[in-house]
Amino acid sequence: MHRGGRSARARSGRTMVRRLLALAGSGALLLASPAAAQDSPPDFSGFWGPVFNLGEPAADMVARLPENTVVIADTGVAEFPRGEYGGLILTPEALAHAEQWRPESELAIDRVCLPQSIVYALQGPFPFEIHQTPTLIVIRYEYFDQVRLVHMDGREHPAEAPDTKMGYSTGRWDGSDLVIETSHIAASTITNNGLDHSNRIRTTERYRIDPADGRLVATQWFSDSATITNNGARWIEWERRPGQYVYPYECDPSFALEYEGR
Amino acid sequence: MAGRIIAAALLVGLCGAASGPSLAHHSFAVYFSPEREVTVAGTISAFRFTNPHGLVVVEVTEADGTVHSWRAETNAPVVLQRRGWTRTSLRAGQQVTLSGWQARDGSRYMRLREARDAQGRQVGAGAFGQNDG
Repeated sequence: MHRGGRSARARSGRTMVRRLLALAGSGALLLASPAAAQDSPPDFSGFWGPVFNLGEPAADMVARLPENTVVIADTGVAEFPRGEYGGLILTPEALAHAEQWRPESELAIDRVCLPQSIVYALQGPFPFEIHQTPTLIVIRYEYFDQVRLVHMDGREHPAEAPDTKMGYSTGRWDGSDLVIETSHIAASTITNNGLDHSNRIRTTERYRIDPADGRLVATQWFSDSATITNNGARWIEWERRPGQYVYPYECDPSFALEYEGR
Repeated sequence: MAGRIIAAALLVGLCGAASGPSLAHHSFAVYFSPEREVTVAGTISAFRFTNPHGLVVVEVTEADGTVHSWRAETNAPVVLQRRGWTRTSLRAGQQVTLSGWQARDGSRYMRLREARDAQGRQVGAGAFGQNDG
């Protein structure tokens, strides 16, 4: 597919997204949450694998995204080519950084096994396991063997905590939706094509098991005024795969030697 | 849900933007040419089954008798394992035919689509595409 054609469609899609979000922000698209209060939250436990044939985003979840948000379309194996950011508006500093980015530098032996942050890793084509308790949810990602703790005990985010690629997450139930807020995320990439985020980025994820097909669906919203002047979001889906397990990733940096001198 | 009809229209736009070459751990499009398909046959001299990508090295004898090493980068072994590959799927000394997409720089380096043994049997369950994880 020619890049020009894809860019045209991308612009068309972005325009549509912006219009929808503007409607959502103005209150014209008020949709009832499907989740009434429940006696107990749904059980998200299990092995979840990425879905590449995405279904329809739940309109009420999209409508809940804050104003000035663009839904970017790089979920799964697709990624934006160099210079394309899916409607995210970069600060001059972030744009200059992206333009100077050299993809081969990511394949240096000292970098090839550095995991990306949850901002990028969440949408990638790898599975994870969820282990759920009333006060703590543990998410074990296959991608780079990363583990994430989601505190469900009502605690606040700490003022001081080390920045990590998974960040510091707290969660709450909103009916049958799981809403996760994450801070203290170490600087990393947003789109894996030169657009990086700072450690001031904040994310809000809303997860739901789609009653129609049992898929786990989510909106991932992020804001980082140091690098983007609007906000970004993604629509992501996974399917439950009983009996499967996360495999060890155990990244081996010697792979980078294949790229030295290329 | 009425709202989901609107969301469907939204997704159509998104899918148009999203379609394109596969990029997972590092960029397929940056390093490999989707139009430049290559097939080589030879003797395996090395097989590395490590993330983020595996690697097969094959010694290929050209028509004039010269021998060149070809390297084939695989998808992540965590992906290969779910398609029936193991650390011992290929062994040094084994005759094999590899096909895939050649590196953009024209070097003897490819992204593996499939491997077949001397009897023509495909290794693992199914070939890999440009849009595989």
